[in-house]
Amino acid sequence: MENRILRVEKAEWLNDDYFILWIKDEQLAATTQAGQFYELRKYSSDPHRLRKPISVYNVEKNFIGFFIKKLGRGTTELATMKKGDELDLVGPLGNGFPLVESQKIALVSGGIGYPPLWYLRRKLAGKNDVYWLHGGNSKADVFPCDEIWSMDGSIGNQGYVTQGLETLLKFGGFDLIYACGPEPMLIQVAKVAAEYGVKLYVSMEAYMACGIGVCHGCVVPTGTPEHIVYKTVCKEGAIFDATEICWSAL
Amino acid sequence: MNRLQTSLGTLTMQNPVTVASGTYGAEFGAFYDLNCLGAYVTKTITRYPKQGNPPPRLYETEAGLLNSIGLQNPGLDIFLSNTLPELSAVCSAPIIVSFSGSTIDEFAEMLDIMEQEPRISGYEVNISCPNVEKEGIAFGVDPDTVHSLTSRLAALTSKELIIKLSPNVTDVVSIARAAATGGATSIALINTLLGMAIDWKTGKSRIKRGVSGYSGLAIKPVALAATYKVASALRIPVLAMGGIYDWKDALEFFYAGASAVAIGTANFANPHAVPELIAGLDSYLQERDVSLSDIIGTVQF
Repeated sequence: MENRILRVEKAEWLNDDYFILWIKDEQLAATTQAGQFYELRKYSSDPHRLRKPISVYNVEKNFIGFFIKKLGRGTTELATMKKGDELDLVGPLGNGFPLVESQKIALVSGGIGYPPLWYLRRKLAGKNDVYWLHGGNSKADVFPCDEIWSMDGSIGNQGYVTQGLETLLKFGGFDLIYACGPEPMLIQVAKVAAEYGVKLYVSMEAYMACGIGVCHGCVVPTGTPEHIVYKTVCKEGAIFDATEICWSAL
Repeated sequence: MNRLQTSLGTLTMQNPVTVASGTYGAEFGAFYDLNCLGAYVTKTITRYPKQGNPPPRLYETEAGLLNSIGLQNPGLDIFLSNTLPELSAVCSAPIIVSFSGSTIDEFAEMLDIMEQEPRISGYEVNISCPNVEKEGIAFGVDPDTVHSLTSRLAALTSKELIIKLSPNVTDVVSIARAAATGGATSIALINTLLGMAIDWKTGKSRIKRGVSGYSGLAIKPVALAATYKVASALRIPVLAMGGIYDWKDALEFFYAGASAVAIGTANFANPHAVPELIAGLDSYLQERDVSLSDIIGTVQF
């Protein structure tokens, strides 16, 4: 991991809420894996504020893309960035998704859980059979994939993306699921995956401070309800085998 | 001549900059050489492994950070067998072990075990963590208890013995005095203030356990006042911390009487906070052609 100040090469707006910041760095691009993240801040912003953990959307040639949703104070600062502005980053952080070959795979994402699966799909493509389901509140939260779900029915199927997953698993034949999204979605994906006996990797999210494993702030419960072990999302995650997470303690 | 040299009780430091317990780890070695530190203070260790508090454990407010980690740590045995050897392989700065116990006997037992370890240069006795029930703050609020604990520990070691105090008391000087007369060789202050945040939209506490520890920008004036009060009332050296982000913040604490300072929450905002503070302080002293010791405790009114 490195701490660098790099210029934004391109700021791309998808709609009113979502944007992509591209940076260029040969060494970082070469070492960044799918499922890893960076802690970002606008260099000219208040130096007392924490950085925001943002997952890697894509790595192409020497460019790294961060696909961001404008939510709180930190991401609103990032949303003001234009080409040429300086981005202060720490990363790549976290363990990344384990990559496989010759598997039938379902990708499941909800809302801003979409970006890390884009780079993952690129890594899996050609070597596996991949089917991607994505859900959001409305059409503004939906991006290119194989099966779309929206809560308000404004695009694709109306309902939860996990309904689509369940239908898919009923037909059988899936070896593996990768999921990223809000906690209630992950809990449901874990339940469905366990029911159908399909292996699942989840990308977990938590409020974060240091990003490098020293402060123990961003933990998730692993183990059993009787013996919980808190693991750091930033260093021991963000990717976990779903059977490791103590879902009832979330 | 080293303008930055300072001492904290029995400990001579190449510079006055160390880190606040729980905000630091050998991971920072990825960004710079850990040997630049005046001393290295570990995350607080307890006798046995501690699971820590349920999440959410963090929340950033308008002007600081709330935390409720709950002293999650692997326990003394694993610290001595794994963490300490790994750390001392990459850090030759003096290592100060922060530790906490649930009884005076347990504090003494832990110190006794650690005395066998030559790689430890000193101890920071954490009697001020707001996020645990038995260990921590219960010890730090009563002068008689602080005196008994400090006397017991001082009899067991000739290494640096720092007592870390809480700001969540009526009179911090009386607690510091109890530690000093008990045989502490320096005082660390302040640990976190008590804080809380609630999501006004849902009525839900931002931190699972509710009341938590508050650090960062907002607590600097509180820390400065505590430093000034203790340093001007007692002869014992003060290791000051609370909202220190850069060399200018640090200078305020030296004027207030601190012999050394620790960087805590700032490490999260800026991974290079430590070397930048040391370099900034060094340039400032060089430009003025003074030593740190010329500044300590010279605040004017």
